[in-house]
Amino acid sequence: MKPMKHVLLLVTMFAVALCAPAFAAGKSIVLDGSTTVGPIAKSFAAYFMKKYGVKVTVSESGSGNGAKSLINKTCDIASMSRAMKPQELAAARQKGVSPVQHTVALDGIAMVVHPGNPVRTLTKAQIADIYKGRVTNWNQVGGPNSRIVVIQRESNSGTQEAFKELIMGKSAQISKTAETQASNGAIKNRVSSTRSAIGFVGLGFVDRSVKPVAVNGVLPSAASVKSGKYQVSRPLYFYTNGQPAGNVKKFIDLSKTPDGKRMVAELGFVVK
Amino acid sequence: MNVGTRKILDRSFTAVGIGSIVVMGIALLIVIVPIVFNGMGSVFFTGTIEHRNMLYNEFGKGNSDVLARENAAAGAYRREIYSMLSKFEAELESMEPEKQQELRAQYGPVRTALQALFGPLPGDPEAVLTRYKYGQTRWDKAQEKLHEFLYEAKWDYSDPNAMAKEYFVSRAAGFEGTSLVKLFPYVEKNLDRLLRPEFTVYWGFLTDSSVDSHIFGGIWPEIQGTFFLAVGAMLFAFPLGVIAAVYFTEYAQDGFFTSMLRSANSTLAGVPSIVFGLFGLAFFINTLKVSESKSVLAGSLTLAIMILPTIIRAAEEAILSVPKTYKEASLSLGSTKWNTIMTVILPAALPGILTGGVISLGRAAGETAPIIFTAAVSVGSAIGLADVFSSPTPALSWNIYNLASEHEAAAEIRHVQYGMVLALVGIVLLLNLSAILLRARISKKLKG
Repeated sequence: MKPMKHVLLLVTMFAVALCAPAFAAGKSIVLDGSTTVGPIAKSFAAYFMKKYGVKVTVSESGSGNGAKSLINKTCDIASMSRAMKPQELAAARQKGVSPVQHTVALDGIAMVVHPGNPVRTLTKAQIADIYKGRVTNWNQVGGPNSRIVVIQRESNSGTQEAFKELIMGKSAQISKTAETQASNGAIKNRVSSTRSAIGFVGLGFVDRSVKPVAVNGVLPSAASVKSGKYQVSRPLYFYTNGQPAGNVKKFIDLSKTPDGKRMVAELGFVVK
Repeated sequence: MNVGTRKILDRSFTAVGIGSIVVMGIALLIVIVPIVFNGMGSVFFTGTIEHRNMLYNEFGKGNSDVLARENAAAGAYRREIYSMLSKFEAELESMEPEKQQELRAQYGPVRTALQALFGPLPGDPEAVLTRYKYGQTRWDKAQEKLHEFLYEAKWDYSDPNAMAKEYFVSRAAGFEGTSLVKLFPYVEKNLDRLLRPEFTVYWGFLTDSSVDSHIFGGIWPEIQGTFFLAVGAMLFAFPLGVIAAVYFTEYAQDGFFTSMLRSANSTLAGVPSIVFGLFGLAFFINTLKVSESKSVLAGSLTLAIMILPTIIRAAEEAILSVPKTYKEASLSLGSTKWNTIMTVILPAALPGILTGGVISLGRAAGETAPIIFTAAVSVGSAIGLADVFSSPTPALSWNIYNLASEHEAAAEIRHVQYGMVLALVGIVLLLNLSAILLRARISKKLKG
């Protein structure tokens, strides 16, 4: 069985090599949740790891998953782009979890179209009609004759919930023909490559590849979100189980420090 | 059927066979060539001085004397830009308000484009995010940024009945009559002196941690995480799988129960991997609570369940292919059944079992869905072996997906994504290659 020995030797060597950098760090901080809050969470994590040497891991699996993880006590901080729903709060109480809300930043939900689309502005009612499936062609809202490709987020998304609440009213149904994408980045990609598409993404994700349209005459920007002129905006949250303490508290309070505020602004979000 | 028809049928069958092999070869080429070509670009590329500065500041790599000389040389050319900027800003102050406002609106994007090329300009507040501390680190990207600096992308909305077309306008034209006009040809002409491109071999891509969520640095945490997850899955699945296969082939009586077990095993092999992922979350994390959060342990267990059917199948086939005479000879010499299995059957079946195992290892390394909810995170440092029971880890498969779709700067860091893909494909190929070699060696030994 000589080859077997070689294999074992190799595996042991690998294991030793991997063990070498092993360090028994203190308890790490685990974040789970929103893809919209993702850039902030990731930047905070990198900053925190560098400054305090505490390990922070960030998952981006959607606000709904963040809430579930917090309820199941599998994360320290749930990042969410919407407030917790009454059902989630009830489920949390049942499991002995008491979610505490911390606002990290403000975010506008930008309605984005392909840069080649001549439409510059839409009213809330027009957007609602597009998503309800009542308006199906760009020429009905002042654009060229082209069928609108409507893109929405998955049901797990906090951005989707906030969009529905802010634009369509809670009970309204999004048209069944709307296409679903699973993250802000995916919507941006789809819209930037589809001339007749419309979608919505967090303000931090808007770049040159897509064009934000003005909603009720106001373009989304840090200033217009902060002043409240741009109406499709919502706060972004970190949720903890009970009042945070120790490193978790330090992490949450990062959003109140000058460096934290700078990071939020540099990422294109709005400092509260 | 006459001979002629038979010959035609025979030939056409051969032709179809060769044809399908050719199609497969072409498909493989189409898939592999861009992966290899673009993936290599993350290690071998033309790096700028910004890359060397980044390496020195973030990882302490590089020679400080050489770097200081280089920075001084590039700085001499950059100071020219900065003085043009301050001259223009002074000029702005003395203009009439309307003209000033118009030019300021155009000047903002010029500054942004310069920042993208050369990093923070004098007077900029110090950036907190590492991505804004440096200019372009790669020469190919720098050339794209140069285009953005020289030309403004505009859309022609003149025809309201059609989607607009993109066209480019020279930014310099907008500053006609001011001192800034000179800046554009200056940067275009001196870009290589400003950025000092140099062929770079950045092995650190494989051994460094990422900086500022993969915008700089390497992919070591991902490689290590993939390795941990795959090996962990094997540690659970391989012994279990072989034992189950021995049971199926040597002990189980043919009957209702056994056939149920067999079909259950086959069904398990066909279950979509996302189902295993959700099962892992519900069972290992939420019910058994093997760890407080997602962890390598939970991910490995989930992957183990996923690859178990394949391993059982492969081991079963391998054991069945051992000639009956081996077993009979052993038993006839008075050996017990257990002893026969351990000393005769399993060694003879080992090449087949190992092949099945290593191929499953490759599959475990490449799966995304089972680890989304059980082990993978988009940002995290490399973990030590001591942390596998409690810590989640970044892993290649998940981070490739994350960079492709969720990352806020996905378009800027395609090379990292390709690098990860190449690393993953490389790992899986290496595993499969080692399976082939191992099999060949052991077979030779057995025959020998």
